[in-house]
Amino acid sequence: MRTMLKAALAGATLLTPASAGVAQEKIELKLWHMEQPPHRVQRVQELIDAFNAANPDIVVTQEPQNWGEVYAKAPAAISAGQGPDLLFAIPDFTPILKDIGALTSVQDFVEELDAKHDFVDSAVDAYSYDGGVWAVPLYNMAMNLWYRKSVFQEAGIEVPTTWDEWKAAAEKLSADGVHGIGLPANKQLYTDQTVYSFMVNGGATEIYNEDGTLRFNNPETVASYKFYADMHKLSPADSTSWTWGEAEACFSSRSCAMVLQFSVIATYDSQAEGDANDLGVAAIPHAEGQEGHHTISYANAVMLLSKHEAKLQAAKKFVSFLLEPENYGRFLNMEPGLFMPVTADGAKAESFWSDPMVQKYRSQVETVIKNAENGRLFGFTSGRTFPSIAAISAQNIIAETLQNIVVNGQSAEEAVAAGQARMEDVAR
Amino acid sequence: MPQSPALAFAFVAPALLFLAAILGWPLVQALALSMQDVRVIGSPGAFVGTANYERILAAPEFWRAAGLSVVWVVANAVLQTALALSAALVLAEKFPGVRVARTWIIITWIVPTVVVVVIWRWLFSTSGGIINPLLVQSGLIERPVGFFATPWTAMATLIFINSWRWFPFIALMILAGLLRIPGDLYEAARIDGAGTWSRFRYVTWPLLAPTLSVLAVIGTLLSFNVFDVIWLLTAGGPAGGSRTLPVLIYETAFKGYRLSEAATISVLATVFLMVFAVIATRTLEKGEAR
Amino acid sequence: MSRPVGWTAALLACLAFFAALVGLPFWWVLTGSVKLPQEIIARVPTMIPHSFTLQHYQKLFSASDYPVYLVNSLIVAAVSTMFTLLLALPAAYAFFRLRFPGRALFYRTILLAYAFPSIVVLIPLFGLFAKVGLVDRLPALILVNVAFALPFAIWMLRSFLAGIPKEIEEAALMDGASLLAILRHVMIPLIAPGIASVGIYAFISAWTEYVFASVLILSDAKRTLPVGFSGIIGQYQIDWGLLLAGASVAIIPVVALFALIGRGFVSGLTEGAVK
Repeated sequence: MRTMLKAALAGATLLTPASAGVAQEKIELKLWHMEQPPHRVQRVQELIDAFNAANPDIVVTQEPQNWGEVYAKAPAAISAGQGPDLLFAIPDFTPILKDIGALTSVQDFVEELDAKHDFVDSAVDAYSYDGGVWAVPLYNMAMNLWYRKSVFQEAGIEVPTTWDEWKAAAEKLSADGVHGIGLPANKQLYTDQTVYSFMVNGGATEIYNEDGTLRFNNPETVASYKFYADMHKLSPADSTSWTWGEAEACFSSRSCAMVLQFSVIATYDSQAEGDANDLGVAAIPHAEGQEGHHTISYANAVMLLSKHEAKLQAAKKFVSFLLEPENYGRFLNMEPGLFMPVTADGAKAESFWSDPMVQKYRSQVETVIKNAENGRLFGFTSGRTFPSIAAISAQNIIAETLQNIVVNGQSAEEAVAAGQARMEDVAR
Repeated sequence: MPQSPALAFAFVAPALLFLAAILGWPLVQALALSMQDVRVIGSPGAFVGTANYERILAAPEFWRAAGLSVVWVVANAVLQTALALSAALVLAEKFPGVRVARTWIIITWIVPTVVVVVIWRWLFSTSGGIINPLLVQSGLIERPVGFFATPWTAMATLIFINSWRWFPFIALMILAGLLRIPGDLYEAARIDGAGTWSRFRYVTWPLLAPTLSVLAVIGTLLSFNVFDVIWLLTAGGPAGGSRTLPVLIYETAFKGYRLSEAATISVLATVFLMVFAVIATRTLEKGEAR
Repeated sequence: MSRPVGWTAALLACLAFFAALVGLPFWWVLTGSVKLPQEIIARVPTMIPHSFTLQHYQKLFSASDYPVYLVNSLIVAAVSTMFTLLLALPAAYAFFRLRFPGRALFYRTILLAYAFPSIVVLIPLFGLFAKVGLVDRLPALILVNVAFALPFAIWMLRSFLAGIPKEIEEAALMDGASLLAILRHVMIPLIAPGIASVGIYAFISAWTEYVFASVLILSDAKRTLPVGFSGIIGQYQIDWGLLLAGASVAIIPVVALFALIGRGFVSGLTEGAVK
């Protein structure tokens, strides 16, 4: 019956011009997200079906989008009045929509949810600036160092904790066509993320001063780039065009001994040997003289775009539904091992830990969650968040700076200075 | 032939009006946009006159992209024509299965570009791709190379992929021209003692030249506009090494959020192309008249 | 017909080269799509699959709306083709035969439609379609595809018309046939192969279009095959098996279509000839 109803509704939406604001009995919500792989879409649909069944007055539909296009598409669709009511986001995407006036602060709602579920603070921080909170955190992703325990054992290597140890390990592992480490050098988000993972472990966490001027060009940044470029020499030749997938494939096929990645669990399990006892994950090593391990962490969130009060309330209901511990684990496990909880009760949720994949890789998932506690995100640290980070991030200037070193042969000093100049230019 | 211009207009008007609405009008809008300072689509902008033009014409990235566009267009034209001409010459011969060959060579062109991109990305990749191991086995290279790793190899690889997609289509157009050359011309040349090369040089080439030049003009305009292959394979990288003008336009509009500057680059590119197209068609028409 | 042995050998070598250049990539994609994941990314790739599985296809069809994308693409391509021909035929005939003021100027202007980066019109067009409620609807794609195929179609049809001996047309005119009748009963049948070629050109360019389809279409149920296909390229993982299966499925329908009418296309092209 529900399918019939859904089909009828879908038919009705096809016929109704989008502009017609006729009073409807049911509140329709359009959800856009960028979790496009089929199995993720399927899981989201299961949750939507459950929500729609429990809330007969609301109909949520999902439209998966592509990260590559959504930056162009979302502003266009919103200005055409065809935008979604709920839109997933990463921190640097939100300022763009805020700038065109598509967002209203959800501070009260986030505080309400925080009282109930206790958000990880850094996740909320990434969306808190200019006197508001602009999106509701949903899941976290943090970079880790992935390896095979057996490979380390054979080579007689301990898990590296400092850069010197890390480099020695990578060099030792580079033999017989195996690359000691696979690091990307593409002008793309993945490279931004890995480079920043080096920067936070080399004392170059902040790219802004407190007054909003840039402090990207400093000795710690230069040292981090130098070390990255050094390590990158051990990576496969095509790493200048890598995105996440190629790094995972390199690790799965045993061509790369180590990679930096949010999670390799899904591919390791389906495309490699899938031996949970052999898969190693560790915090990213830090520079000599630095304390503790840090990482880049990406709190993904959902923006509420509807200006229509009833729709806004319905959207909040849906978000609350997702964050309920009994649903939240199922939501996170649309990609087991990749999406980490951003709430305290979510981290303990039965629905999260009972997933067969999470059970199989429980120790790895625990390590990943622990590492994420020291997560930072460039441009969203220490409350120093300025709108220009959107352009800096969208144009991948951190990655571009690396390319100037490893592709164009500039020195790290030159490239970082040029990088700061570029950042200042796009910030104008 | 007696007929009223009204009838002629009735024949032409639908197509013209259609093009004016779908291409002409947006083009005028782009022109207007280029004189404002709009950043994100949907946000308001103020009139800034020629400020964007001054900025863009002074920007090294613009000239670099323009240069890469020229490289892209010329290299594609050369490689495509070379492949297409030799394929057409082969297909003009008679051999068993020639009809099948003539039909199926076009398969590279009927596959969606996105699929072409995935095919070649996989074949060229260093994990799982077949090309590197083949080259290593044959001793041409020692270690797997990254085809998209350096600016010039990335550009060369992209040119290869784009030419691979388009050459069969052009080959068939050339084949059409070849098959129209009367057989007795070759016979006469043979009787005069002309060898294979001189038959090609003095019979085939002169008769084929008009077809080739028309294809060259259209091909230039079409390949200048190629965006999806580059964007999906290298996104203009590495280090901007394959950032042609269309890629720069897209990047400026949707990654840099400078919609008006993107419109400015578009207008400038359009001016270049128009000048090229006008000169080229004039030259062609003169050639035909002679 | 006899050829020197050396010539035959050279011809064979060329044929083998082109067969490999065009055919081998497809071979690897099709065979790759039935290999087990481990074999797909193996460090030493295999020419002939050592394993056989349909798991990638199962995944493709169970988890994504591929059949829907396929139908959308077919609708867009077929309707675009029809409209391109409907608009291009009279225009091509008028440019070829009829006299009217501004003929040369209009003809040149039409060909100049290729003389600008097509991305230019993407944003204004989005605004235009938004105003008339065409965003996220297939007709928007049809309009765009027709606009991009039309100039080339007019140009090609005009040169096909130029290939018809003038005497045939004149004879019909002497018989007192009207212009429309000549066009319908004489010219169109004569250039039928040319029309088929132009039709295929329009079909394929609509079938393969990606950029506009990716921005103008918002909802999954209206995606075309290229956009739907790019959707299965995950952001954080590349499932090569799924991609290769998707590629194979995207190839097969056009290949089937082409098997039916491909011959007509090629003979249309080669007989009609470009001038």
